[in-house]
Amino acid sequence: MDPADVPVHCDTGPEGGCITCGDVAVPMRVREVDAAQGLALCEDDAGGLAWVEAALVADPAPGDLLLVHAGTALAALEPEERR
Amino acid sequence: MRFVEEFRDAELGRAVAGEILATVQPGRDYKVMEVCGGHTHSIYRYGIDDLLPANVELVHGPGCPVCVIPMGRVDDGIAIAHEPGVIFTCFGDMLRVPGSHGTLLDAKAEGADVRMVYSPLDALRIARQNPDRDVVFFAIGFETTAPSTALTLKRARAEGVPNFFCMCNHVTIVPPLRALLESPDLRLDGFIGPGHVATVVGARPFEFIPADYGRPVVIAGFEPLDILQSILMILRQLRDGRCLVENQYKRVVPHEGNLRALEAMAEVFELRPHFEWRGLGFISQSALRLSAAYADLDAELRYRVPGVRIADPKACQCGEVLKGVIKPYECKVFGTACTPEHAIGTCMVSPEGACAAYYNYGRFARERAVV
Repeated sequence: MDPADVPVHCDTGPEGGCITCGDVAVPMRVREVDAAQGLALCEDDAGGLAWVEAALVADPAPGDLLLVHAGTALAALEPEERR
Repeated sequence: MRFVEEFRDAELGRAVAGEILATVQPGRDYKVMEVCGGHTHSIYRYGIDDLLPANVELVHGPGCPVCVIPMGRVDDGIAIAHEPGVIFTCFGDMLRVPGSHGTLLDAKAEGADVRMVYSPLDALRIARQNPDRDVVFFAIGFETTAPSTALTLKRARAEGVPNFFCMCNHVTIVPPLRALLESPDLRLDGFIGPGHVATVVGARPFEFIPADYGRPVVIAGFEPLDILQSILMILRQLRDGRCLVENQYKRVVPHEGNLRALEAMAEVFELRPHFEWRGLGFISQSALRLSAAYADLDAELRYRVPGVRIADPKACQCGEVLKGVIKPYECKVFGTACTPEHAIGTCMVSPEGACAAYYNYGRFARERAVV
């Protein structure tokens, strides 16, 4: 999927609160990686898609679970935490 | 994918609450501050207050970045938004924060091109789509959000986007905590540490709290069980006479933080000598500005901003709320003149603000208790 086709954002979904300016982040599953751009297409719990900045996590791959805040993946969640 | 469900198990929650009850010493009062606005929101949303013994009180800290923005900075942002040709972008909550003469939303109604974005990358995209306009991103947030701004500025530089600028209001968490701990009218027994700030900066920056001030810190996640377990860990430290930084949120927070994020921040930002915090006043080296290498992207240097210090409204007691000296409902204007629809103080604007969280979730419980 072309990065230009998907808006670069992630939303709070049904959880409420403001993830962008509060200290809140949401887990999102990687669907695609654009290594050249340093972006990852991620899906949130509600099925919403967003391209997120992936420079802070090492080699994200499809299927990985990332913790995303303000359009940036802050951390990769540990494999044993995946369900 | 329900990564969070296992941290909302009611039965486990009641079990942890039972352990908390068994840990507290009767006759002793405990005051625990949750530093982060995200925790405040979770505490009210899930009624965690109701699960605690009466002698354990949660005090809301200064960790909502919207709540601590002083009016003068909002006025500066509005002045830039009114500059001809500017597209002014910011997070949604910021739109409703009052300056001395209205909000960014009011500025938009007056004709300024103010747009809400979900991430700095959105703002950069708007800049690419509007090469003949200046696009200014109003950056706010603690160390959780600052890497996102830093990476976007690096991206703008690498792509050579000439019309993207940043008004930087990023703040750092340690200086206000130190200011709070130095405050004579504050009595706290321990701190629930900000989990996502610690994801970026690690656990080490909080070690001064036990070392210099003798208070335990437990870095916590944001689900109800995370918070309950963190409270239990703090109470156990107090019971056992231990005092250190513990990490309840190990599934996300590495001890050393995220080195890539810290490197990006070090490249793009530098510390301001001082910065004004709403309710807390000026605090030395408590905020970030763009470094010399990125000065050409600094909106404050590109545009003339008033830079005037505006006193908070007299009726507003956000300062006392942010310091945990009073509860939101003890403010003179809480729920009457100041509501989420018509906020006087910033604590009522953001959902993470202590007053808004209390207004939305906590006030009915209090009414029940009073009756």
